[in-house]
Amino acid sequence: MTSSDWNATTLVMLLAGGEGERLYPLTKKRAKPAVPFGGLYRIIDFTLSNCLNSGLKRIYVLTQHKSLSLDRHLRLAWSLLHPELGEFVQTVPPQLQLVSRWYAGTADAVFQNLHLLGEDHPRDVLIVSGDHVYRMDYGPLLAFHAQHGADLTVACTQVPCAQATRMGVLEIDGEARVRAFTEKPASPVPLPYDPSRALVNIGVYVFETEALVRAVIADAKQTSRQDFGHNVIPAMVDDRRVYAFDIVEHRPPTERYWRDVGTLDSYFEANLELLLPEPPLDLFEGAWPVRMHSCQHPPALMRNVGDLEARAANSIISPGCVISGGSVLRSVLSPRVFVGAGAVVAESILMPGVRVGERALVNRAIVDENVVIPADARIGCDHADDRRQFLVTEGGVVVVPEGALIAPSDAP
Amino acid sequence: MKKILLVEDDDHQRLLYREGFEDEGYDVVEACTGREALARVESDRPDAVVLDINMPGMDGLHTLARIHDLNRRIPVVLNSAYAAYKDQFVSWIADAYVIKSSNLDELKSIVRGVLARKTAC
Repeated sequence: MTSSDWNATTLVMLLAGGEGERLYPLTKKRAKPAVPFGGLYRIIDFTLSNCLNSGLKRIYVLTQHKSLSLDRHLRLAWSLLHPELGEFVQTVPPQLQLVSRWYAGTADAVFQNLHLLGEDHPRDVLIVSGDHVYRMDYGPLLAFHAQHGADLTVACTQVPCAQATRMGVLEIDGEARVRAFTEKPASPVPLPYDPSRALVNIGVYVFETEALVRAVIADAKQTSRQDFGHNVIPAMVDDRRVYAFDIVEHRPPTERYWRDVGTLDSYFEANLELLLPEPPLDLFEGAWPVRMHSCQHPPALMRNVGDLEARAANSIISPGCVISGGSVLRSVLSPRVFVGAGAVVAESILMPGVRVGERALVNRAIVDENVVIPADARIGCDHADDRRQFLVTEGGVVVVPEGALIAPSDAP
Repeated sequence: MKKILLVEDDDHQRLLYREGFEDEGYDVVEACTGREALARVESDRPDAVVLDINMPGMDGLHTLARIHDLNRRIPVVLNSAYAAYKDQFVSWIADAYVIKSSNLDELKSIVRGVLARKTAC
């Protein structure tokens, strides 16, 4: 089947309603899928680009918490489809149509929108998340689902068993049929052919539509978290045809990259991975463009100030940035960032509009939008000092939230 | 004695169903509209609901969803003259869907079944 055939038979539901607590304070004012990533992107752009590049153009984005910035981004960046051709990216906050509550869990978000499935009557529903950074052609997944006559196909990847204790682990038989699904097991069951690794859920599901409807209704009648991973999938394993699509087995190396950027440390590391000499996710690959929205900005400018040379190495420097006699090393700069003379920014993520004053040092930090770092300030150089003002992660990353007021170093 | 909430806007049909269910030994409470049905669910705590779909005002499918929101453990049997509502996935929230007939045997049998399943839970 071609990509247009998949579009005809598949409706996408993109879950973007999570609170994003573990990414706080980056999610203080914005939904997790709207958190900037890789300089120019928002996290949701990766999943939406996967959809578009796979030919899937009928997409409902189920939103909830702090959705204004996400709504705005979707309007600015993703109003490119043609509704008159039946294509859409449509946000769906809780409608209070069937029930009088917010989305209680991922499965409840679908349950509350049963009427949308009834209107479209797709053969299959692709359920994806706005929380992950990955590259995936959904076509082979949909083909696998169809070939196996599955009620549900769960996309998964392989990770070391120690890491799998934080994820949903699948046990499969020789035909890739899922025999058990356990969320966050203490002792993950390893792969039959590799005792050091386990198969884990990556939050990409294909449901045959009627199986999905029956599953979310059955779950809604229970007292549960109304969550796909915790409730719906484990309940389907025994009596429905549930299959696992292992991206390590079925996809080329370029499509095996998948990151859950749900914690500040994983978010930080995934950003810096873009700067590797051979990045696992290549933003420059023309065959798989990642769309984003970018305002009109002048080109990035690097200028020396007297003897102070502007330097940038192994970094992403977005349009509108000015490196004015400062140094930027292994960092990701969003648009309109200014780095002053003698300042050093190292292993840091600077979001739009951040200003780094003269001679300031910023090391292993995430600095949120429009923060002004005064001259001579030190961030990420002394964690005891940093903790007095900011959150410092387990991985030693300092997070400077939007609106933070930072005293000059010579202030009393 | 099990209590049935009968939701039906047509007076004659409501009388027919009432008599039929009373013959079965049920205590029957009635509602003529969806909104009245929601009030009855809260005030009368029925063991099961027999619910018409095509009603003026709040229709049966909307009422079904609201009943489920109020109390997900009350079994609901949709009772409609039309089969076409089965295509609306919201109707699948109901425990059963019966096409109306002057012979109430099927409806009675299904209500017995959903009550037995509820008791077993």
